[in-house]
Amino acid sequence: MSEAQLVGSDAKRDCQVVVTPAPSLEIEIKASNQRLLEPGIRAVVEKTASALGVSKAKIAIADRGALDYVISGRVEAALRLTFPELTSAIPRSIPRQASKRNRIRRSRLYAPGNNPRLLIGLELHGADCVLVDLEDSVPLSEKQVTRVLVKHLLAAVEFPEVWVRINPLDTYGRDDLAEILRGRPHGICLPKAESSADITSLSEEINKLETSYGIANGATYIMPIIETAKGVLHAEEICAADERVVVVSFGAEDFTRDVGAKRTVESLLFARSMIVAAAKTAGIQASDTVYSNLDDEKGLIAETKQARNLGFDGKGVINPRQIEPIHTVFSPTEQEIKEARQIVAAAEEAEKHGLGAIAIEGKMIDKPVLARARQTLELAALVNKGGS
Amino acid sequence: MKNVLGREIPERLGERKLRLFGGAFATTPSGRKASRPQKVVKLGENKVLSSIEQAIEKTGLSDGMTVSFHHSFRQGDHLVNQVIDTCARMGIKDLRIFPTALFPVHEPLIGHIENGVITRIEGSMNGPVGAFVSQGGKLKAPAVLRSHGGRWRSVEAGDVKIDVAFIGAPQADPYGNANGIYGKTPCGPISFSAVDAMYAERTVVVTNDLAPYPVYPFEIQQGWTDYVVVVDEIGDPDSIASGTLKITRSPTRLRIARLAADAVVASGYLKDGFNFQGGAGGISLAATKFVGEEMAKGDVVGGFAMGGGTKLIVDMLHQGTIRTILDGQAFDLAAVASLREDANHVLMDPGHYANYDSRGCSTYMLDAAFLGATEVDLDFNVNVNTHSDGLLLHGIGGHQDVASGSKMTVITIPTLRGRLPVIVDRVTTVTTPGEVVDVIVTERGIAVNPTREDLVERFRGAGLPVRALEEIKQEADAFTQPPRKPIFGDEVIALIEWRDGTIIDTVRRVAGWE
Repeated sequence: MSEAQLVGSDAKRDCQVVVTPAPSLEIEIKASNQRLLEPGIRAVVEKTASALGVSKAKIAIADRGALDYVISGRVEAALRLTFPELTSAIPRSIPRQASKRNRIRRSRLYAPGNNPRLLIGLELHGADCVLVDLEDSVPLSEKQVTRVLVKHLLAAVEFPEVWVRINPLDTYGRDDLAEILRGRPHGICLPKAESSADITSLSEEINKLETSYGIANGATYIMPIIETAKGVLHAEEICAADERVVVVSFGAEDFTRDVGAKRTVESLLFARSMIVAAAKTAGIQASDTVYSNLDDEKGLIAETKQARNLGFDGKGVINPRQIEPIHTVFSPTEQEIKEARQIVAAAEEAEKHGLGAIAIEGKMIDKPVLARARQTLELAALVNKGGS
Repeated sequence: MKNVLGREIPERLGERKLRLFGGAFATTPSGRKASRPQKVVKLGENKVLSSIEQAIEKTGLSDGMTVSFHHSFRQGDHLVNQVIDTCARMGIKDLRIFPTALFPVHEPLIGHIENGVITRIEGSMNGPVGAFVSQGGKLKAPAVLRSHGGRWRSVEAGDVKIDVAFIGAPQADPYGNANGIYGKTPCGPISFSAVDAMYAERTVVVTNDLAPYPVYPFEIQQGWTDYVVVVDEIGDPDSIASGTLKITRSPTRLRIARLAADAVVASGYLKDGFNFQGGAGGISLAATKFVGEEMAKGDVVGGFAMGGGTKLIVDMLHQGTIRTILDGQAFDLAAVASLREDANHVLMDPGHYANYDSRGCSTYMLDAAFLGATEVDLDFNVNVNTHSDGLLLHGIGGHQDVASGSKMTVITIPTLRGRLPVIVDRVTTVTTPGEVVDVIVTERGIAVNPTREDLVERFRGAGLPVRALEEIKQEADAFTQPPRKPIFGDEVIALIEWRDGTIIDTVRRVAGWE
């Protein structure tokens, strides 16, 4: 048994939990609105302890308005720190809607996995995908506790598409995977991807866990992040390494640091173009780096336009208010929609008449053009639905 | 007796026979308005006194009487505590106080309730005094809460007879003309007290800045004023912004504000001459800002804005997005400065703003309004007075008046505050009935009152996420175990008056817990 450690924080929407060994199960609760909240919090604590099979511990919890999944995540983490022999409690799993390989991914919204206040409502802002981070935004001392919290988040909330960025496999990545795959994210985001081997070892690890957790093999996607010089040069093999890879993204901050560049349009151009070419060769999507100056919407729109012009399909987002401008840039214009409609109509017409080739006003339409036109209309439909 | 909403209401409050709420516009008043005694101040008489003590002596303020105050200094008010402390020192007891609102700064009144100086309160209680009174057994009679318009009406109707009105005035002349926008410590409009000044047996203007005759604009007029007292301090204007005045940065709250603004755009009301009420909460401010941006984008010039003067709507006035601000209370000093400088930023008293028993009020000219809530229920009833723990912690403000008047009343709420659900099966207290609430906007979607099918169509047409309130509630409830509920006893802590003087609900003492 290790010494009692405090799990969580006294920030709003979080709670602090301390577990010590005791002859029986004792639960001590402090909350604002104690009389209203005490029974509900107790029920969550009891359920979590019982799922882990713990009956001899004192669990002290100080609540600051944490939701049930935060409380159960914190309690599980605290119990496992005190009793390292415990294995994961599998929380109630909501039915996870499957995603699609080529679904629209104009925006991927980042959130640090260790801050409950920033996790609340992540699914509501209209981002095409949400990405919960266990890597850069989580300090070493919180890695273990955070992956448990994120697992409980995944089990409690339905997302259109949710990814988890794990740590590299040679640090904490394997522990991250073992924990969070129980929450069935749509995909795993691998930082600092540098070779096809990085992807295949991740895929093998996921495969094992899918089997043991009863998840269909292959259901979990992979998003490599290319953010080193080596990664850029190996972009082609990374993108083509595994069926699970459906989108690749670019990390400009780490890349410029790695090569000793200043972040300018020119210094990123080679890497971005490489990544787009590699992605399109492999038939997957490419997603651009984040734009970190929150207050500069003009700069965000300019950089997003560059990315779109280069062939990217989406961009990283660090605050919900960046979503709308990015979606606008990645949404088709009236003219593009008009042309796409013509192409698709011509294709349908050709099919009806059993023609192999499609032509508009004598000009032949290639298959990729047709595919792109379909994608444009799909995007347009999403935008019309109020998809942003 | 049960009123039309099924809320149990006592038959009498002391000598006053209570009338039951029967619907937002069910009451047709009759009879004549109240009056005050005749009095003449003759040529050459001096009204200026040197202390509150002297004013108390001159007015004959004594045991069992009613004293009134305004809340224009909000959390910065110094006058209420000064007057009540002086009364206590002079051995006066059993007072009924009739403030427009009390704030946490008035916590010292608790001591005066305990020692019998104050035995009754009719007015809003924000914070500690409300929490104290909620414990039960503290006052001789239940407190009475009224809306801004409802308070004005109650004085005119003679429901409340004020013995002495004390009116803090940032600037006054020796003859009793006064306003709140000039002087050493301007706090914004003080005409919440205009009805007190007109109907009280005696009216005392208290100022820290006596200026040469005539002081104008005269929110308070010489013809109403018996005495003018000069003191060192009446309040601290830096504290009129009571903490609610920052545009929210919370992504969830910004989403609510965005949806609320989108709802206004989709409603069809947003066209030239659009009149709206902003409000001062973080979500309302953000929603107002977004609506302003949409107006500027669409080249729409609004008619008037109201709901408390803020820098935000002052900026809209300066940019030409709206033509006029009607201002009954200032929420920041930019609004006070604009009241002095901008001809189209107009002082307005609550009678003009919101009085039910009148030949017209400005809230009836509103197209849209953003309002908050501590709870809403599936019948669209809104509670702004109590929390789910049953404690009385907030006043009504203009909530009832604005919701009744506005063509589209939008309640903006997060579905959860901490672990507490905001959408409940039955609100702890009904402040405003569902019949005057059109739309509830949450971060999980927009619920439209079934009586507003027209809005449902417009919102759907604009791609807005219209959902049943019950569905939104279920989704939010899944995130927390339900809170324990208080069990209420028989003792009535407070009456919630509807703006027409009928009783819409009571607040009862918490007797136990489920």
